[in-house]
Amino acid sequence: MIVVVGLSHRTAPLEVRERLVAGADALPAVLARLAGREELREVMFLSTCNRVEVIALVNGEPSLEGGLAAIREELARQGGAANGDQLTPYLYEKRGDEAVRHVFRVAASLDSMVLGEPQILGQVKDAYDAAVAAGALRGTLMRCISRAFAVAKRVRTETAIGAGTVSISSVAVDLARRIFADLDERVVLLLGAGEMAEAAARSLGKGARALRICNRSFDRAASLARDMQAAAVPWEGLEAELAQADVVVTSTASAKPVVTRDMVKRAMKARKGRSLLFVDIAVPRNVEPEAHAIDNVYVFNIDDLEQEVARGMKARHAELDAAEAIVADDVAQFLVWTRGLEVQPTVVAMRAKARAVLVSELERSLSGRLRHLTEGDRAALTQMLESAVNKLLHGPTTRLKARAADRDDAGELAAAVRFLFDLEEAAAAQKAARADGAEGENGRDDDDRLPN
Amino acid sequence: MTLQLANVLFAATAAAYFAASVLFVAELAGHLLVAARWAPRLVALGVPLHAAQIVVWSLVLHVCPVEGIHFALSVASMFVCFAYAIARLRFRVDVVGAFVAPQALAFLLASRFVGPVDDEPRLRSAILPFHVVSSLLGIALFTLAFAAAVAYLLQEHRLKNKNLAIIERLPPIDALDRAEHRFLVAGFPLLTIGILTGTIWAREIEAGSLAGIARAVLSYASWALIGGVLLLRASAGWRGRRAAVGTILGFGLAVLVLAFYLVRSLMGGVRA
Repeated sequence: MIVVVGLSHRTAPLEVRERLVAGADALPAVLARLAGREELREVMFLSTCNRVEVIALVNGEPSLEGGLAAIREELARQGGAANGDQLTPYLYEKRGDEAVRHVFRVAASLDSMVLGEPQILGQVKDAYDAAVAAGALRGTLMRCISRAFAVAKRVRTETAIGAGTVSISSVAVDLARRIFADLDERVVLLLGAGEMAEAAARSLGKGARALRICNRSFDRAASLARDMQAAAVPWEGLEAELAQADVVVTSTASAKPVVTRDMVKRAMKARKGRSLLFVDIAVPRNVEPEAHAIDNVYVFNIDDLEQEVARGMKARHAELDAAEAIVADDVAQFLVWTRGLEVQPTVVAMRAKARAVLVSELERSLSGRLRHLTEGDRAALTQMLESAVNKLLHGPTTRLKARAADRDDAGELAAAVRFLFDLEEAAAAQKAARADGAEGENGRDDDDRLPN
Repeated sequence: MTLQLANVLFAATAAAYFAASVLFVAELAGHLLVAARWAPRLVALGVPLHAAQIVVWSLVLHVCPVEGIHFALSVASMFVCFAYAIARLRFRVDVVGAFVAPQALAFLLASRFVGPVDDEPRLRSAILPFHVVSSLLGIALFTLAFAAAVAYLLQEHRLKNKNLAIIERLPPIDALDRAEHRFLVAGFPLLTIGILTGTIWAREIEAGSLAGIARAVLSYASWALIGGVLLLRASAGWRGRRAAVGTILGFGLAVLVLAFYLVRSLMGGVRA
């Protein structure tokens, strides 16, 4: 059974989450410890700034609780806790269908702090690669995570869950892209220094030709410029800078506007009417709002940006139902597949036994009473018997698989088949082989060919 | 056989322009994301079909494609689509196709179903084809400039009102402004040649009717207005809204000149 044990931004504060985080360097050791637990057949460790989760495949009912306890122990060890109890209030546990649904939702960014953010899929892929490299993923869980990638892609392409802008920085970049087709040819000017403005300027500066920083304290500007690979400019040169810059992000602590309408008018004359965008994140505002009325000048303040963020979030939440429907659909398909796996060893054992009986009888007859048969007759007889076996077993095989696909009580039917045909040992061997990943998801249900 | 081929090409061209128009509307309404990819391609697909249709249809009718105002409008709209298909590779102005595709469809249909193809030997002149071709090419480029200017004003209005919802489906305002300018720069010399050759042709045939004078005045006004827009942009930084309004007015005057030809043709057949 697939289980998930972990904590996230919904259940645990940052000071708890950060204790459990495993970076790329520590991940192999964590995976090795988890994979070494005999209660866990397959395992993956997902560690992001918003969640730490162990996703595992544990053996069925008898060892399920043991598997969950093992995961809790390892998480406690990872977090440096003396025992699992300290983490218990923050942990959640998901089992079976619920765990599969959770994995799909996480990969599709439906459980993220910022709904629809794209980074989580990359983080799940990194965790998957690390687990595969550690040999901790090979069969059913591997298939589950692979399926989660497909679900995430489906959600992203069939819904607008990732559309719109949902942070001040991304809105600023989006606005700049709505005005300038070639942001990489533009100059961004950061006026003042505030955390949010700095983040916006960083985002804008990434794709811009140049980033300049202007501050009342030149030392502060120079220090920030070094940090952001930008150029510091003196405060006295502000008006000249306005004639050069295309996007101006303002965030000074000034009580009065530092950029007036008249300054902008003069700058626009000097720049021959080229468009100028102000992203004014300061409160009180740094740019006189009247500047927005000047031709080719666009002034957006913090309220405008926050409205756009709210609109983006609202649009994404409107897509949630459609995204959840996709997840539900894929969970159902995956469960059909896993239930099919449960009856697969019985099907394989049943067919193997039937053929073994026929092979034995055929060999006996061909070396006894039927030894006079020519090669052609032997081939025809073999073909006929093979066909008869296939036809005889086709009904039970398809009915058992169909039952597994439709209902979750196929295990009982499979048990009845094993009892009737005396298949317990053979089915157990098949199951063990599958668990070892030798057969995996592509387990064949046909046996060796009959002899000629 | 030629007639059948002309009909097939006509139907295929109309289908391409019609599908592109529908997809552009769907894209602007925000309903169909795939429309953004396919609508401009359908316009581009329509160009060779349209060109072939014009050639084959002119063979059927035994007339030169640039003679007769209806046929000439179809040629002009084909030029518009051709210029659009080339320009969209350079500028991010696919949305201009939302204007281009329906007008191409309208002129294509008009070339087949509206008005007679007349013939008046008195008006034939060696300079006429130059006049018609350069004027049509100029109008084609001004059509694109006009569409970019309209999209610019729409985008600018939304930005000034901080209503960002529809902006997502329109190109960056700067791209629209630049595209509009480039279309004007490319179209202005052609319009100049068209006006010069038109003046010489009018002298040759000694045309001096009131409508002819009005048409000439409108042509010169259109030329002066667009020239003014270009001059002021270079010298005084007239960009954005002012340039867009000037472009729309200049295009409007050019359309009035065409309207003169069209009305006169419908009323009894005077050639372009």
